[in-house]
Amino acid sequence: MAKWKPLDQMTYLGKGYARLDGPGKASGALKYTYDLKLPGMLYGALLSSPHPAATVRHIDASAALALPGVKAVLTDVHPTGTLRYAGEEVAAVAATSPEIAADALERIKVEYDVLPFVVDLETAMKPGAPRVYTEQSNVREPRVESEGDLSAAFAQADVIVEGTYRTQVQVHACLEVHGSVAKWEGDELIVWDSTQGVYASRDGIAKFLNIEQSKVRVICDYMGGGFGSKLQAGRYSAIAARLAKATGAPVKLMLSRPQDSMSAGNRPNLLAEIKAGATRAGKLIAFSAKTFGTAGIGNNARPALPLVYDVPNSRTEHYDVYTNAGAARAFRAPGCPQASFVMEQVMDELAEKLNLDPLDFRLKNDSNQTRQQQWKMAAERFGWSRRAPRPNASRGVIKRGMGLGAAVWWPGGRGTQAQMTILPDGGIEVRCGTQDIGTGTRTLVAAVAAEELGVPIASIKAMIGDTEYPYSGASGGSTTAPSVAPAIKNVAEKAKDKLTEVAAQHFGAAKSEVQLADGRAFVKGNARNALSWKQLCALLGTMPLVVHGEWVEGLSSAGVAGCQFAEVEVDTETGVITVLRMLAVQDCGLVLNRLTAESQVIGGVIQGISYALYEDRLMDPLTGVLINPTFENYKIVGALEMPKIEAIIYDQPERGVIGIGEPPTIPTSAAIANAVYHATGKRMRELPMTPDRVLAVLHS
Amino acid sequence: MFNFELVNPKTLESVPALLSRKWGETMLLAGGTDVLDMLKERLARPQRLINLKSIPGLSYIKAGDGLEIGALTTIAEIAENAEVRQNYAALAEAAGSIATPQLRNMGTLGGNLCQRPRCWYFRAKDLLCLKKGGELCFAVEGLNKYHCIFGGGPSFIVHPSDAAPALLALGARLDLLSGTGRRSLALSEFYQLPQDNLMRENVLGPNELISAVKVPAPAAGTKSTYLKFREKQSHDFAIVSVAAVLQMDGRICQQARLVLGGVAPIPWRVPAAEAELQGKTLTAAVLARAAEAATADAIPLSQNGYKVQLTRVMVRRALEKLVK
Amino acid sequence: MQDQNESPVPIHDTAESPPAAAPSSKISRRHFLKLSGGGAVGTVILTAGVHAKAATLPPDAEVFSGSVSLQLKVNGQRRSVTVEPRTTLLSALRNQLEVTGCKEVCNRGECGACTVLVNGKPVLACMMLALDAAGKEIVTVEGLVQDGKLDPVQQAFVDHDALMCGFCTPGFVMSVRALLDRNPNPSEAEVRQAVAGNLCRCGTYPRVFEAALAAAQTAGKRG
Repeated sequence: MAKWKPLDQMTYLGKGYARLDGPGKASGALKYTYDLKLPGMLYGALLSSPHPAATVRHIDASAALALPGVKAVLTDVHPTGTLRYAGEEVAAVAATSPEIAADALERIKVEYDVLPFVVDLETAMKPGAPRVYTEQSNVREPRVESEGDLSAAFAQADVIVEGTYRTQVQVHACLEVHGSVAKWEGDELIVWDSTQGVYASRDGIAKFLNIEQSKVRVICDYMGGGFGSKLQAGRYSAIAARLAKATGAPVKLMLSRPQDSMSAGNRPNLLAEIKAGATRAGKLIAFSAKTFGTAGIGNNARPALPLVYDVPNSRTEHYDVYTNAGAARAFRAPGCPQASFVMEQVMDELAEKLNLDPLDFRLKNDSNQTRQQQWKMAAERFGWSRRAPRPNASRGVIKRGMGLGAAVWWPGGRGTQAQMTILPDGGIEVRCGTQDIGTGTRTLVAAVAAEELGVPIASIKAMIGDTEYPYSGASGGSTTAPSVAPAIKNVAEKAKDKLTEVAAQHFGAAKSEVQLADGRAFVKGNARNALSWKQLCALLGTMPLVVHGEWVEGLSSAGVAGCQFAEVEVDTETGVITVLRMLAVQDCGLVLNRLTAESQVIGGVIQGISYALYEDRLMDPLTGVLINPTFENYKIVGALEMPKIEAIIYDQPERGVIGIGEPPTIPTSAAIANAVYHATGKRMRELPMTPDRVLAVLHS
Repeated sequence: MFNFELVNPKTLESVPALLSRKWGETMLLAGGTDVLDMLKERLARPQRLINLKSIPGLSYIKAGDGLEIGALTTIAEIAENAEVRQNYAALAEAAGSIATPQLRNMGTLGGNLCQRPRCWYFRAKDLLCLKKGGELCFAVEGLNKYHCIFGGGPSFIVHPSDAAPALLALGARLDLLSGTGRRSLALSEFYQLPQDNLMRENVLGPNELISAVKVPAPAAGTKSTYLKFREKQSHDFAIVSVAAVLQMDGRICQQARLVLGGVAPIPWRVPAAEAELQGKTLTAAVLARAAEAATADAIPLSQNGYKVQLTRVMVRRALEKLVK
Repeated sequence: MQDQNESPVPIHDTAESPPAAAPSSKISRRHFLKLSGGGAVGTVILTAGVHAKAATLPPDAEVFSGSVSLQLKVNGQRRSVTVEPRTTLLSALRNQLEVTGCKEVCNRGECGACTVLVNGKPVLACMMLALDAAGKEIVTVEGLVQDGKLDPVQQAFVDHDALMCGFCTPGFVMSVRALLDRNPNPSEAEVRQAVAGNLCRCGTYPRVFEAALAAAQTAGKRG
């Protein structure tokens, strides 16, 4: 089975180094999808439904088409004409400027038959609520899972806690909105897409357009954030392609910011009724959850409950509820931050009833050996022992508290293929159909190749983000690094092997006698008579060396643990929660790049703070529209709210590569909520913990 | 954005004639940070924009016997001006709390005073709310956590300006220019409630503009401050803000001016709270009574009751800051 | 932004006769639905704007309408563009000049991704008309690169990994550059204030603070 070198023999891996595309990003030189301008390119725009529920009776595009500069209007972009949320696409235009495209949208006359709607989870559950899908009830059949004997366990429990928790809908708010540039070359289509998966996008576009996959090429050189919302092809890509076809010109179609908020995915909300029990000995033995959540017109709002801790007897009953809102999509650790917010608070409540320190109670119920170590290490570093034993211990208006929560994630990765080309002038190209979503994948491709070949990272040309390159899966679920890194190592090993053969022939030595190290080839014991990398590659003559590689077993694994500690200050007169500091300890196996791995953890914590305290997608119950579709009122954490954040990567190089994208955002809101309880003695059971909610709870 | 004709006049005197006497046909452009937003959402469809930035001499801060600030002076210039910081702290602090560094470099004082409401129903392109000629104010039964607790009805907007409460508390006057000539108007006469005029938040005529803002020199012993409560510190409008101006004689308050922002359709002066302070030694109990009096008339909507509590706390804290 | 003229949607001007009574607190759902379904919603209406009777223009006023050619001074170079009066500086830079370092993210002045320096001050290109930028010195993130060498601020962002997806990065770089130009030795609190108008979704803020402080050490003031 393949193995990595020991850490102390590595030049790049395990260490921190700047990402290769950093200079291009910092200087504005790199072109994202939104930045592209192809010769003759037109600008597309979508007309969105203003109604949360309606059918389209008639669309008259004549006034739009009559506008100078408008090149095409599509009035059949919606597959059925039955609109189920405000923001669904109704028509599309292509024009010579974005300004004219916007003018054209206004000139499209749409007659709607407006239908009753429901946008609120709990209203949608009521009997007689308007149905989102006429043929079925808003509340779907439950998904029930159970283990052990729950009623016996509750009978046996010494302490029982019960509570109702609510979390909000969060939108991804990628800074680069969803969108594509489409260009036809004969019957072949090229799409530049802001995507987390060029192959997934390619397959989806082919399906939308009912054309062969081989006719579609998708490119994503650089993209401005996805967080799970760009794992699939968007209808906008196919619409851009249709507009391009209709006009005979390339078309760029980017969603507007409000359209992105309305229709490009979200994290579902949660209503959870929880009951949990533990023994006097401090063992969690019973957990039951009845949960509801809305994924809008989509499915799967199920929280990952029970989360992290061992519980032998449990029952979860989850109901997806339809509402007239945009469909949910995967969002960084789907189902987990909301579950963590519930689970960790339930753990704290049990601990308090048992008169146990929250950390000790966790140590008794966490069978993950890695996390056992992490808890202790983090607690010491954080100064957990200085925590007041009782909640609400601060005198005065401003109260301080500490809290904690656990991180977890499961998937590994597999399936990536790669190709390496060694050019006669010494150039090294690596092709892999993965993509860099801001996580540093391009840099890891180069680093792994450089490490294996013993050449500087700058000598590797990492070519990714194109379906012309060998297959790799979409970048989601923290699967990218563990699926890509082994394939790159594998292809580099194969190239190295071939080059060793070439060198052996040159030296007239047996292959086993020849060594390739530090970018030089020599006969063992005769390093002074070495071929430089350039000399070695020149021996290829005119024919580049091309090798294929793939993911192999042994270089990666799955399953990580982590934990986070928060210290907060609560202003009990204003309800303002200030996060003072966060500590996150997170493992990810073999660290490929310490600098970017830490950035991932810090970024996860920051998204968690934002989720905990600020973000809330609000659907207006009166009109059914998303009332805060822009950053003015969809509030995202900023520079002035930043606590001190310490990220510690817990090294386990022997486990190989594991992803780190999801776990660090999971427990942040839970750790903060527990800290707020510790500060005030009042439990926040609803997200986000905005001042109005905090004041309501403090004065309850 | 709806297209328009842009006119760059060279003199202030020529502006009124460029403005239509009919609302909506022409608009003034200064910093553009609100006007362009309105235009992009197609909430305004003027045929012509008159660009005040092309007129020299409208951006200045003159300090002498009082303060005079040209209407085109940027918010950043006001926030950073040494004289303003020294003697008109409430204004400097209010200016420094507005939006973001970039927007403070763009936005002007005149524009800030005349900006339109941020109500999410008003700003929603597809919704025909009461202020846009519709039949109801959606905030009454809809989502109203950011709406007003004073002076509401029939619309429940709040006035978003930070500069206005500070200037009002400092007793500012406006120099106005229209087709019929110049006039000077107390800022306290400038804003109007929805019950008096649903469509416009101030009394400017259609072909009238602010040319300068004048603040009287503070009497001896005057201290002022501006406290702003936001849900997040990085870029947010006021949920509640307080401009407090106290003229003190030792520990005794001679005169007090308290104006609230973010809680009413206009900058909201609270005379009842001022009365609790005037002529009194400002003890903690007095400040608490003033804070209480500030919210006596509050009528919260279904989701903004917390603003009443916040108002009390912010009033008290502003006063504490000045008394300390 | 001194906009005292409004009547945002030209439906009818009710200013002279504002509804006297507060709306009933018992508005029926049916009532609103009828309203919203009645076709009075903004998306379906538009006729050409009301044409004001052109007032006599003063002889010294410049008037721009339709298509306007102008020169913008971008990163030290004079560049010709053809715009409409409504074209924003951001649109002109990105769509015409292909200067795409300034990013379009919110297009409403809420995120800072389009921050550029105009006459040395950081402003938002999305909220400024291209016509208003004529004759001014415009510096975008591309313009900080001198002879192929990154500005110390840019280099610090790279070295400190103060960028992930990179879409907010140019805006942050410009805000930090503007800060160091006026305050070569800022505190962390001053850095935070300087970038308070820049939004990042990946979560680079702490790295941005580090980068800014490091850049101040290496080369605060530009030559």
